[in-house]
Amino acid sequence: MPARNESQWRATPPLQEGEWIDSRIYSDREIFEEENEKIFKHVWVPVCHESELPKPYDFRTTSIGREPVIICRGPDNQIRAFLNVCPHRGMLIERRPSGSFLEGQPSGNPTRITCMFHAWQFDLKGNCVYVAREKEGYQDRLCKENVGLRRLRCEVKFGGFVWVNLDDNPSVSLEDWASKPFQCLRQTLEEEPLEVFHYHKAVIGTNYKLWHDTNSEFYHDFMHYHNRVTGFNDAYFARKNEAFDHGHVVVGTFEVNYANYEGFESRAELSFPHLPPNQWYMIDLFPGFNFNLRGSALRVDVVTPLGPDEVMIEFRGLGLKSDTPEERMTRINHHNSIWGPFGRNLHEDLIGVAGQGTTMRPGTEPRNILHGRQENQTIHDENGMRHYYDEWGRWMNRSPREPDKAYSPSQAVAAE
Amino acid sequence: MPSYSLETVLAVRETIYRATLALDDQRWEDWLALCSPDFHYAITSFSPEINKDMIYLQGDYKDMENMVRMLPKHNTDHSPLHRHTSVYTVDIADDGRSAEALSSVVFFQNMLDGTNSHIDSGESRLFLLGRYIDTLKVEDGIAMFVKREVRLDNRRLDKGSHWPL
Repeated sequence: MPARNESQWRATPPLQEGEWIDSRIYSDREIFEEENEKIFKHVWVPVCHESELPKPYDFRTTSIGREPVIICRGPDNQIRAFLNVCPHRGMLIERRPSGSFLEGQPSGNPTRITCMFHAWQFDLKGNCVYVAREKEGYQDRLCKENVGLRRLRCEVKFGGFVWVNLDDNPSVSLEDWASKPFQCLRQTLEEEPLEVFHYHKAVIGTNYKLWHDTNSEFYHDFMHYHNRVTGFNDAYFARKNEAFDHGHVVVGTFEVNYANYEGFESRAELSFPHLPPNQWYMIDLFPGFNFNLRGSALRVDVVTPLGPDEVMIEFRGLGLKSDTPEERMTRINHHNSIWGPFGRNLHEDLIGVAGQGTTMRPGTEPRNILHGRQENQTIHDENGMRHYYDEWGRWMNRSPREPDKAYSPSQAVAAE
Repeated sequence: MPSYSLETVLAVRETIYRATLALDDQRWEDWLALCSPDFHYAITSFSPEINKDMIYLQGDYKDMENMVRMLPKHNTDHSPLHRHTSVYTVDIADDGRSAEALSSVVFFQNMLDGTNSHIDSGESRLFLLGRYIDTLKVEDGIAMFVKREVRLDNRRLDKGSHWPL
């Protein structure tokens, strides 16, 4: 077909329902605000890894759905999460990304979580243990026992990741929510402790779902010279995209031929436990978390949506805690040669989603975004995205294809 | 100060500044020509988030040679980088045959494609901040890189880059 006029451009594509969506779900501010309320404040989020808080009194800060969160390891070695908000006047309690409460602060004592503003102090279980001039100000009307921190659901699971849910009563337990997609790697990730060795972040002018789409569709491997030369063979094209309840997808493995890329090497000798050499698994969890294991290194992406057209992506790289220095260095090189900020693939992926973000700014025309490739649920089939958007529609009660209308199960997805 | 020191300092500074120009101009072979065959390159940073020193990229001369040779096969952001390098200190070894230099470096990105070239192109943005921590060997008055660590302050790297810094 030659280039199309406007009505042709906007016409319904010759695909089944569920095989395309409306770009407004990537650009509409109202939809974005609704996503924060309806999705991000009710899902399990892998906020960090336990190795980022190795010692009692260590902490990390993060945020979910604009709510600041602090994660602490208590003297009892338990990891807990709280809103990082002082119950007094709403001050952000801890401002640093990480640290230790064993260090005293100008306003407070060691071993306490101290709000610098008025010196209220809390223990590592979130109990308020000190209110400055308590009796003088509050007499018998309010006391420490009334003003503990807001505790959050927090579990350490699936390879030592710290999962937090802002919802006190999540609709499903973490185990039930993610155990099936993690089944392919659970033994591998839980055989021995893991350790984070890499962290960086990207703030990209695009919608968070577009990043998750990129992680769950592999058709874009045409963009990556590295993936074409190390991957495109019969085993690659036979990789399965398997859909799981709750909108999750797992991309099955195959053996990658790293040595086909000039200057790269096989990763066979440092495979994670229980894996044959040079395997590549990908677990995509709704609504935007990705666990990506390429034989010797694990990469984990966590999205924090900042607006309809802006997302922060945190990238972590992990190896085995038991690594020798030489093994760790090799894992770092394997991780970064492809996935580092100066590696061969990540830069290209980010250019891709930034380009999508440019065409889908708030106020741009609604367009059809196609998710209609059908290849028997193998690697270039787009069933992963179809499955994701069916789940998205369910949470939002909006049709991904016509977001002004209520959700109804997609026939195309139901058929899969 | 031994009589050879000033000349050696100047040779070291000359090599660092020539490397900056070669990298800015994407004359990768000219940059590698300033590096010794036993050259080692690394981009590093410290992450207070995970409380660890990190290596974002590293390789020897051959790795860097491979990397730049493969660049035409890779999609990339075309916005050129412009480095502002200031050599702060040059310390010459007692035998005058090697030196360590510390430079401040600021990377600006002169947008070309950017996110939307119609709007972004022609604008310069601060891209990265850091230091060059260099070890050079000096022979016959010529300084060559043996080791370069690009020590970044940044952990927010957005789209990153395919190019050596």
